[in-house]
Amino acid sequence: MITLGCVLLLCGLARVMATYPIWWSLAVGQQYSSLGTQPILCGSIPGLVPKQLRFCRNYVEIMPSVAEGVKIGIQECQHQFRGRRWNCTTINDSLAIFGPVLDKATRESAFVHAIASAGVAFAVTRSCAEGSATICGCDTRHKGPPGEGWKWGGCSEDVEFGSMVSREFADARENRPDARSAMNRQNNEAGRTSLNDNMFLKCKCHGLSGSCEVKTCWWSQPDFRVIGDYMKDKYDSASEMAVEKHRESRGWVETLRPKYNYFKPPADGDLVYYETSPNFCDPNPETGSFGTRDRSCNLTSHGIDGCDLLCCGRGHNTRTEKRREKCHCIFHWCCYVSCQECMRVYDVHTCK
Amino acid sequence: MAGAIIENMSTKKLVIFGVILLLFQAFSFMVGGLIAPGPTSVVHYLATKCVDTAKSHQSTKWFMPWGPNQCEKIRTFDEAMAKKIEANNIVFAVHIPLPNKEMSPWFQFILVILQFDIAFKMNNQIEDGALATVDVGLAYRDDSLSEWTEMAHSLEQRKLNCNFTTIKTYENEGRYYECDLLPFMEVGSVAHKYYLLNIRLPVHERKKVNVGIGEIKDIRLVGIHQNGGFTKVWFAMKTFLTPSILIIMIWYWRRITLMTRPPVLLEKVIFALGISMTFINIPVEWFSVGFNWTWMLLFGDIRQGIFYSMLLSFWIIFCGEHLMDQTERNRFSIYWKQVGPIVFGSFCLFIFDMCERGVQLTNPFYSIWASDVGTELAMAFIIVAGICACLYFLFLCFMVFQVFRNISGKRTSLPAMSKARRLHYEGLIFRFKFLMLVTLFCAAMTVIFFIISQVNEGHWHWGDYTVQVNSAFFTGIYGMWNLYVFAIMFLYAPSHKRYGDNQSSDPGASSGEEIQLTTTITHVDGPTEVYKMMGKDSQE
Repeated sequence: MITLGCVLLLCGLARVMATYPIWWSLAVGQQYSSLGTQPILCGSIPGLVPKQLRFCRNYVEIMPSVAEGVKIGIQECQHQFRGRRWNCTTINDSLAIFGPVLDKATRESAFVHAIASAGVAFAVTRSCAEGSATICGCDTRHKGPPGEGWKWGGCSEDVEFGSMVSREFADARENRPDARSAMNRQNNEAGRTSLNDNMFLKCKCHGLSGSCEVKTCWWSQPDFRVIGDYMKDKYDSASEMAVEKHRESRGWVETLRPKYNYFKPPADGDLVYYETSPNFCDPNPETGSFGTRDRSCNLTSHGIDGCDLLCCGRGHNTRTEKRREKCHCIFHWCCYVSCQECMRVYDVHTCK
Repeated sequence: MAGAIIENMSTKKLVIFGVILLLFQAFSFMVGGLIAPGPTSVVHYLATKCVDTAKSHQSTKWFMPWGPNQCEKIRTFDEAMAKKIEANNIVFAVHIPLPNKEMSPWFQFILVILQFDIAFKMNNQIEDGALATVDVGLAYRDDSLSEWTEMAHSLEQRKLNCNFTTIKTYENEGRYYECDLLPFMEVGSVAHKYYLLNIRLPVHERKKVNVGIGEIKDIRLVGIHQNGGFTKVWFAMKTFLTPSILIIMIWYWRRITLMTRPPVLLEKVIFALGISMTFINIPVEWFSVGFNWTWMLLFGDIRQGIFYSMLLSFWIIFCGEHLMDQTERNRFSIYWKQVGPIVFGSFCLFIFDMCERGVQLTNPFYSIWASDVGTELAMAFIIVAGICACLYFLFLCFMVFQVFRNISGKRTSLPAMSKARRLHYEGLIFRFKFLMLVTLFCAAMTVIFFIISQVNEGHWHWGDYTVQVNSAFFTGIYGMWNLYVFAIMFLYAPSHKRYGDNQSSDPGASSGEEIQLTTTITHVDGPTEVYKMMGKDSQE
């Protein structure tokens, strides 16, 4: 009986782990802090499914950018959620870097998946421009010896390559027929779509006497903050779905359909979820909530970062703090700031 | 006295000729749309931040962003801050092209655009009218192991035109400014395989160099070059068109010299149009594949400019020579009022081009738009050229209007003529109008395709086929003007057929009028009957 329980528990754990994108730990792991300077060993990345492992081995030179992408995704998540009850906290000593929050198919999970997949596409595109990856964009559309395609008609935009990497790598594990996989697929795609939607077109005229007789245009990637803002809007307007089970030839297949018929069904760029979020007020190891105790809050704000809402009505403590700060700084564009030191007094409010 | 071919050719032959031209036209569009790739390619470059560890800045050292012998890099400037690296020791390195690729002479030119990623910071904002001073060096090499050879080195200033679209609060720190694109470099020939750019942003506090330019996070470059495939198709087209125009030109001039009378102005202008078309057609660009001729870009501009001004002058003179109320014709000097703006406008553009692309021959980083005085000067040239263009079009429209008014006036006197002669004149008027319409059609097509290329993405997908609209536009329009010049030279060449030979139905009336025509207007003997008819009208 005990062994059976153990097996069940293990199975349960394994099931959870299988859905959890453990490879995201690339972004926080100490061993990858020197990204770009030393090659990544694909075998050492935890939680890769065979397809991802294969991809990693084939494109090992872009793996640092993949890791970098997850990292900027997480940073952006933490920026966007900085004043909220759930603030995108990562746990350092676990492979499941967000803790159990992502086990449930909540809005938060949806956001994290989307921003991570957008981050990967973004970072890969960026590294292509930097020249740190040699395989970017230049597919062999034009027949002939290698290099001829580039000489004949140039390469496709790096953005397409970035999205392709994100699609191949991040979505590699989302091929199960269950509802969660469908949700992750949709949300990952939403992240990439948001990246594409926010590209902006720039043009340069260079014809006769610099006239627009000849004009060349290209798509530029926005600052990742813009993507973050956009995704945050998508988070706020995410669609709640209901799970439907179908019997198909390969077995039971779960699909998602909009829960409320009077809302518009989600488009490609929309986030979807099908479980309600916990309230994140109190610590709960099961839901992955850390609670808002000791979080600092904004006394003057009436929004979610205000002390009333953030502290879930428990009230807050106030203490005054003296901080030594740099002030009257003179900046130079890089690397050198001359400052004075000032003493400032702050009122710090923390939740009870 | 022989008329022009356009008047004596039978309608059937004329239709066949038109259909053949249309086929060639369709072909020239298809060459661009289906064979050629897009006209230009864009490559994005993100500058690698290298650290110059040497104490003294030796200018001979080049920093490679990747590959063997790559420089010591930093990822962010926070790292530089921690390591106490000075701004003057940071070198932004960009290798053109990206790894595993090489440049080719077929790319014709490289144009590089500079973009700064500047993050907003409350206490380090971009000052108004901030100037970024960049110390930039360009080097080349032809195999991936040899030493870099310096090509150009310059200290350039670029005006930062940035605005921050959100509210300037601490909350929004870290967002980027939206900055205008800065012209950075233009090289008129791509003779080498690899190019390397090393950019420094030297800081000199007392001289206020690079102070108040905000927190630059990254330098992005956008490299634009012509696609090799497009160049090849373009050259092939030019090589094919040159003999066609040349042959018809020689044929045309031979016909003119065979005549007893000296050539009239209109014939000379048509010949000049042919010469300028040949001049633009001659594929001297083939040499750019073998030789490092950086002036090819400028030369191409000049050739194009000459053709455009010739074409515009041709229209004016064509209309003017068909005008009836002018007693004096066949002299170039009476057109100075109309041709003057063309010459002056082209001259302004030429000076402007010399200031920009001419100076770029010695300093590829030069841009007339970088300095305030230069910008004003450039704008002045362009505005003057624009005014000239407006003046020209007013003149042209006025003349076309006059021609059509006079033609319709002439029509009222047609019933008084004999039937055969009337029919003939009506045919002439119709053909003259037809040619005017063709001109209008060509101009309209050019404008329409220009607009399409401005708003369009560049290629359309039809199933598996990708149609390069912009390339089709370039080859199609180029082919169209060639066919236009070809058609004009062909149709306005003197005909062998004797006019009036087959009009035996009313010999008396016909010969009577003929005598009148030949006797009264011998001094305005012209190439076409319409021309002469109008001349006669003005005589009366």
